[in-house]
Amino acid sequence: MSDVERPQGLVLEGLQRRVGNTLVLDHLSLRVAPGECLALLGPSGCGKTTTLRLIAGLDQPSAGHIRLDGDDITRQPPSRREVGMVFQSYALYPHLTVERNLSLGMELRGLPRERIAAQISSVLELLQLEPQRRRRPAELSGGQRQRVALARALVRQPRLFLLDEPMSNLDAQLREDLRAELRLLLCGGPQPVVYVTHDQQEAMGLADRIAVLHQGRLQQIGSPRELYDQPANLFVAGFIGRPRINVLPAEAGCIRAVRPEHLEPLAEGGLPARVLLREWQGASQLLQLETPHGRWRMVCDGRVELAESFGLGWPPARELRFEAGSGRRLL
Amino acid sequence: MRFRRLAVLMVLLWSLLPLLWQLYTSLRTGSALISPQPGLSGWTLDNYRQILSGDPPFWRFLLNSTVVGLASTALTLLLAIPCAYGLQRQPARTRALLSGALLAAAVFPYVLLFLALLELARRFGLANHLLALSLPYAGLSLPLAVLLLGAAFRDLPPELEESALLEGLNTWQRLRWVLLPLIAPASASTGLLVFLFSWNEYPIALTWISRQELLTLPIAIARIAGSSVYTVPYGAFAAATVLGSLPLLALVVIFQKPIVAGLTQGAVK
Repeated sequence: MSDVERPQGLVLEGLQRRVGNTLVLDHLSLRVAPGECLALLGPSGCGKTTTLRLIAGLDQPSAGHIRLDGDDITRQPPSRREVGMVFQSYALYPHLTVERNLSLGMELRGLPRERIAAQISSVLELLQLEPQRRRRPAELSGGQRQRVALARALVRQPRLFLLDEPMSNLDAQLREDLRAELRLLLCGGPQPVVYVTHDQQEAMGLADRIAVLHQGRLQQIGSPRELYDQPANLFVAGFIGRPRINVLPAEAGCIRAVRPEHLEPLAEGGLPARVLLREWQGASQLLQLETPHGRWRMVCDGRVELAESFGLGWPPARELRFEAGSGRRLL
Repeated sequence: MRFRRLAVLMVLLWSLLPLLWQLYTSLRTGSALISPQPGLSGWTLDNYRQILSGDPPFWRFLLNSTVVGLASTALTLLLAIPCAYGLQRQPARTRALLSGALLAAAVFPYVLLFLALLELARRFGLANHLLALSLPYAGLSLPLAVLLLGAAFRDLPPELEESALLEGLNTWQRLRWVLLPLIAPASASTGLLVFLFSWNEYPIALTWISRQELLTLPIAIARIAGSSVYTVPYGAFAAATVLGSLPLLALVVIFQKPIVAGLTQGAVK
């Protein structure tokens, strides 16, 4: 068969999961190419972790198919899917040393000792865990544990990487450092990477494409840039971009919205605004404004001196328009 | 703080005084025990000498009880661990139903079973076999053991097993290499409970075993006789009790660490 008929990478077709009467995932279809990093982004309960568990085989879909490099793996037991998964809690074996945490699976599958040792050494070196080789998880720092979990997924050379909020237990600084490291390690290899997060900044920084999920439904899938510039609907517009987008009240079936960074003070006229709170962040400043449409957020250069009250304006081209009922974006 | 220390002291006295009293009694001569004046004389090891030189000597009963206890504990854990693992994997409703049934079985007064057990022993020729005793002991311990171990399995984060599943470990490998080491503390304390039950059990041991050299500790202690029907050999009883408690003390000291040590520490987060 040719590559056209057997698409490489991961393909989800109409994936659905029903628990009782609740549809936790509604007909999700998407494709992740080899080496591509796809972030599943959404608020908690949106179905992103469910999707990951379905791909891993830890839960069964009610309908739909999962294909990996052309093979239908929908009904394959999780032990045969060869996925490398990093859990939110890391799920390291607490009674085993770092080394044994990595080797257990390979040992029990009867791989030759020399090969296991070689693979482990190279991964430990790659992740700079060599000095911790004989420690147990309890003796490691949060960042080290996270790296061991990553190493355990890497060492098996899986066909697919799945990461479930792998950085939510780390502090902000460490997260930023690891984001780059993670991208270098996982993305661009032969495997597709699916990365679940609720942190849009993390998704934007790490992923080639982002799939935004809300209430079990795919809202939009695209590059971080596309999601920011052309959000498919009001939900995506509100979820992507920090601080949150400012929304004007509906007018003749149309809702207009402006991103905080596109607002500017006008010499005269404009939307009257009063400064409630000012957060100075060095290069930029974040303003909470009192306007006739409620509290708005504005971001501008840190050096700009603003009056207590001023008129707000924005370039019409930067304005996003949505249909009032459905929330779909109007072109 | 001071009050708490006092309270601990009171509890310690409350639970240890009877033991110390037994120790004291076991080291006194018969006449010193009933004498109204507490004197410094009358200390003796005669009580120990007496029971250890009996026929069969007392250590034989200690050995019998140890053999039965170890066999019962091993058998119970061997059956209870897979049961508990299976129980924990059931859907919530089934699990609640089964746990209820187990609880009912665990609190059932087993004395009511003992006639039926006696019939079984006769029918299958189990009487006067030391190891056969571990069959009813394990059977009676199983419900509680399954409940305790089931709770231990449930306390483990599910991702641990899922992670092992994704690494290609089969059920047995997951149990053996990932879950069992983590429930070791619970297994140790459950095993200790089973051992204690077996060590103290009376009615079944009394009816299943009649040969003198196969008696377990409680029966042997009950059969210690004085020199005449009119004397109660308090000293010998006390000595036997003290000797019978020593192995239990040793067990608790040995297993204290695994019981207390939280092995699951650092599993998640």
